[in-house]
Amino acid sequence: MNENRELLEGLQALAALGPREAPLRVEERLKVEFRKRTRRRNLMTWLPTSSIAAAAAAVALFLWTHREKPKPAPAVVAAVSMSGVPAAEEDTIASFYPLPEAEALPALENAMVVRVQLPVSSLQLMGVPVGEERAGTSVQADLLLGQDGLARAVRLVQ
Amino acid sequence: MVRGWLFVSAAAVMAATTVFAQGPGRRMGAGPGDFALLHAEFGMSNKVVTGAPYSAQAVTQFTQTLPNGDHIQRTTTASVARDSSGRTRMDRSLSTVGALSAAAGARSRAIVIHDPVAGMSYALDPSSKTARSMPIPAARTSSGSPTANARSARFRASAKTEDLGTQVIQGLTVQGTRVTRVIPAGREGNEKDIDIVTETWYSPDLQVVVMSKTSDPRFGDSVYQLNSVSRAEPDPSLFTVPSDYSVTEGHPMGRGRRGGAAVPAQ
Repeated sequence: MNENRELLEGLQALAALGPREAPLRVEERLKVEFRKRTRRRNLMTWLPTSSIAAAAAAVALFLWTHREKPKPAPAVVAAVSMSGVPAAEEDTIASFYPLPEAEALPALENAMVVRVQLPVSSLQLMGVPVGEERAGTSVQADLLLGQDGLARAVRLVQ
Repeated sequence: MVRGWLFVSAAAVMAATTVFAQGPGRRMGAGPGDFALLHAEFGMSNKVVTGAPYSAQAVTQFTQTLPNGDHIQRTTTASVARDSSGRTRMDRSLSTVGALSAAAGARSRAIVIHDPVAGMSYALDPSSKTARSMPIPAARTSSGSPTANARSARFRASAKTEDLGTQVIQGLTVQGTRVTRVIPAGREGNEKDIDIVTETWYSPDLQVVVMSKTSDPRFGDSVYQLNSVSRAEPDPSLFTVPSDYSVTEGHPMGRGRRGGAAVPAQ
C-alpha cells in the first residue's frame, strides 16, 4: 500500500517537471538506424514480388506466342455458289478456302471432295496465298470439285 | 538471397524465349506433277431430285491462253447418273483439275455415291476395292453464314444477268442465262476492265446444268457439257458398294482421319 503511494507520488512529481526530450545526438542516431532498417525491410519485401512478376511475365509471353493461331477466314460459300446446299454440308464447305477462279463458275449441283497431295507451289497456282517460306514443300489438301470437275475450294489437311 | 531471386527470374525469361523461338517447320519432299490423288473423301448434292433419272457423260474442257498466244487444253470426263429415288453417282477421271495436272503414275479415278435414301455417302477406290462410307448430315434450314451472304451479295451486285432464252441440247429443252461480272480497272491492279462471263444452260425437267461456259481472262476458259444423255433408269448396282469391296466407316464430313473398322459391303 505504501509502495503504491510512493510510486504514485513519484510519477506525479515527474509529471510536474514537464516534457523531457532525448539529447539531439541520440535522436540523430535513432533516425539513421530507423532508415537503415526500413530500407532493408522494403528490399526483402519487393525482391520476391518482382521476381514472381518477372516469371509470370515470361510464362504469359510464352502462352501468348503459343496461343492458337487464328484460322484462315471461313470459306466463302457464296462465291462458290452453294445456295440451296443443306446447312450441315454447307458447314463442311465453310471450312474450305474458296478459290478465286471459282467465283465465276456455275452453281454446284453435285460435288465431290478428294484428298490430294500437292506442292505448295500448286496452291499458289490456284490463287491460295501461301508464304514463300513454304515453297518447295508439299501438303495434303482436300479439293471440293463441282460437277464439272473444276475445283471450287480447298482446305489444308495438314 | 537477392542474387538467387535474380537468377531464377532471368532463367525463367530465357527459358520462355528459347521455347517460342523454335518454329514448327516440318518440311516435306515435293512430288512430281501438280497434284497426286490420294483418295475420294465423299460426295454431296445440293438437293435431292426424285422421279427424274438420267445418266450421261460429262466432259469439261479447260483452256488457258498463254501470254505468247499459245494455248493449253485439258479435258476431263466423268460418268454421272441419278436414279428415280434421287441417288447419284459420279465416276470421274482426275488426270487434271483445271490448270493442275496429276502426277505421272498416280491414281486418277474417283468415284462417289451420294445416297440420300440410306443417308450415306460412299467414296469408292477401285484399285484397292475399298470404300469409305460417311453419313450424310441431316439437312436443316439455314440462310448461310453472314460472311457467305456478304460475299454473295457483293458478287450479285457486281454481276449483270441476261436471259438467253431456250434451246434444245442433247434432246433436252434448256434455259440459258448469261452472267457477266466486271472487275473494274484498278481493283486488282488491272489496267482495263476484266469481263468474266458465265453461260449456263439448265434443264428444268432434269434439274441439271446441261452445258456451261465460263470465260475468265485471269484463269482461262472452261466448257462443260453433258453428252450421251439417257433418261432411262440407271442400273441400280451403280448406287451400291460392290459386294467384294471392304467398307471403312469414315467420320461425317470431317477432315478425314482415314480410320475406323472395315466392314464387309452389303
